[in-house]
Amino acid sequence: MQKYEKLEKIGEGTYGTVFKAKNRETMEIVALKRVRLDDEDEGVPSSALREICLLKELKHRNIVRLYDVLHSDKKLTLVFEHCDQDLKKYFDSLNGDIDPDVVRSFMFQLLRGLAFCHGHNVLHRDLKPQNLLINKNGELKLADFGLARAFGIPVKCYSAEVVTLWYRPPDVLFGAKLYNTAIDMWSAGCIFAELANAGRPLFPGSDVDDQLKRIFKFLGTPTEETWPGHTQLPDYKPFPMYHPTTSLAQVVPKLNTKGKELLQRLLYCNPAFRLSSEESMAHQYFNDLSSSIRNL
Amino acid sequence: MVFQQWIVDRQDLIRERQNDLQFMSEEEHQKILIFFCNFMQTLGEQLKLRQQVIATASRFYARNSLKCIDPLLLAPTAIFLASKVEEFGVISNSRLVTTCHQVVKNKFNYAYAQEFPYRTNHILECEFYLLENMDCCLIVYQPYRPLVHFVQDMGYEEQLLPTAWRMVNDSLRTDTCLLYPPYQIALACLMMACVVMQKDTKSWFADIGVDMEKIQEICRYILSFYDLTKNYDEKKEVQALLAKMPKPKTQPSRPPSSQQPQDPNNSSSNQQQDQNVNQNQQMGMTG
Repeated sequence: MQKYEKLEKIGEGTYGTVFKAKNRETMEIVALKRVRLDDEDEGVPSSALREICLLKELKHRNIVRLYDVLHSDKKLTLVFEHCDQDLKKYFDSLNGDIDPDVVRSFMFQLLRGLAFCHGHNVLHRDLKPQNLLINKNGELKLADFGLARAFGIPVKCYSAEVVTLWYRPPDVLFGAKLYNTAIDMWSAGCIFAELANAGRPLFPGSDVDDQLKRIFKFLGTPTEETWPGHTQLPDYKPFPMYHPTTSLAQVVPKLNTKGKELLQRLLYCNPAFRLSSEESMAHQYFNDLSSSIRNL
Repeated sequence: MVFQQWIVDRQDLIRERQNDLQFMSEEEHQKILIFFCNFMQTLGEQLKLRQQVIATASRFYARNSLKCIDPLLLAPTAIFLASKVEEFGVISNSRLVTTCHQVVKNKFNYAYAQEFPYRTNHILECEFYLLENMDCCLIVYQPYRPLVHFVQDMGYEEQLLPTAWRMVNDSLRTDTCLLYPPYQIALACLMMACVVMQKDTKSWFADIGVDMEKIQEICRYILSFYDLTKNYDEKKEVQALLAKMPKPKTQPSRPPSSQQPQDPNNSSSNQQQDQNVNQNQQMGMTG
């Protein structure tokens, strides 16, 4: 621990305090995540363990790097690459206005990070602006893999409470226990809309019912034709037959036509219809993405 | 592929084991592995864990040197860590230790005359040790899922799966999981199950275009495990085997109730770096 000089507290993570610190040898700025080990019965928290073992595998420019795991005196410290802020804080600094090129760049990087996770059999499961880190060079990195898991393993039952409500897809809200990469694609769609609106969340529901109501009012209530089998999901309950009254043009007025089309293809209630991260990256919306971002 | 880091070369495995094999033969080493796999299996069953968790724990266990850590502490810690990594839901540390006490007393008293000597704080220390020793690489793939996939593709699921599944369980008691990728182990077990159940599936194996030499090698490992256990009475022999084990330097301190002298050095640092790279050439590599 003498290797790092603590500078300031950045915030509270899922399982501990995060500090900004300086490597005394290299002068590099890092983020230290102190894992609380106060529960004798649990030992190293399983969320921390999952984050450690997944980030060990995931080395990519759009995924926050785990440099080191230090343990001393019954404390565990994860040493991460440092980013200046998260997307939530970035939104707060915008005053309601965002450059369309920034929207495109962030969305592309989000998808590229996701594509890498999904290509390595890892679901993030908890995508939200607070978990997307941004640095001064305009790079975006996925962080907080505490709820992520490798899905190449046969597990029938994931815990139902996994995604922050606002970014949670309708299948998970209905209690689906078996899910796949489409869970992250829905969240990516919600974040895309929020980006385009400079930080106004798309579906800020207050509870599960309100969340589903907001989704169905916008997309229309699904039927057995549009989404076969959804009425069999564990927590299914019928909703009134809403028909979409607001158009995408009203919801994301500043997004161009291709962007709206991409958004639409991410926000399907039926998870089988959502675009994958690879498909999304190949979407026409990104045709005029500058090569500097493509190679970032 | 993610499992790559879990596959080691046979020569490297022998080198890693040098220290242990100074105290015992390879066969005796395997018998100790078998004993602690049985111990983990019993623990896992008592705690109602899924086979996947037990298998992952066995893999964590297999990567460690007997000289570095007492396997009687390592085994439950591997179960503890595996239950968290596999997202089974955490088993409480105190319940784990209680279960160890019961299991040692009721089912493994032929091996241990004294009671289970470790407590929750030892498990926590050992968890750190294990994390460091495995360099935090904890994602393990198992042969079970590919096995189910292959059996479904082949047909005869009801007849073949239970037999092949048991053989995969048995494969944990060999070095195969350290030497071969999970899908090859699954295929080897399936092939042996076909022989046992007298199903002619040569053409199926020919069609999938897999390296049959590797599959045969795995079969030999598992068959030699069956050979080994045929004339082996664990209840009679294991105490002498356990006594042969090197005493770990970093052995955690014993509770006062035990007769053992107190060992204050319970740091979990991984002191044992292999300095014997040159030495291994002259050591026996029976194969």
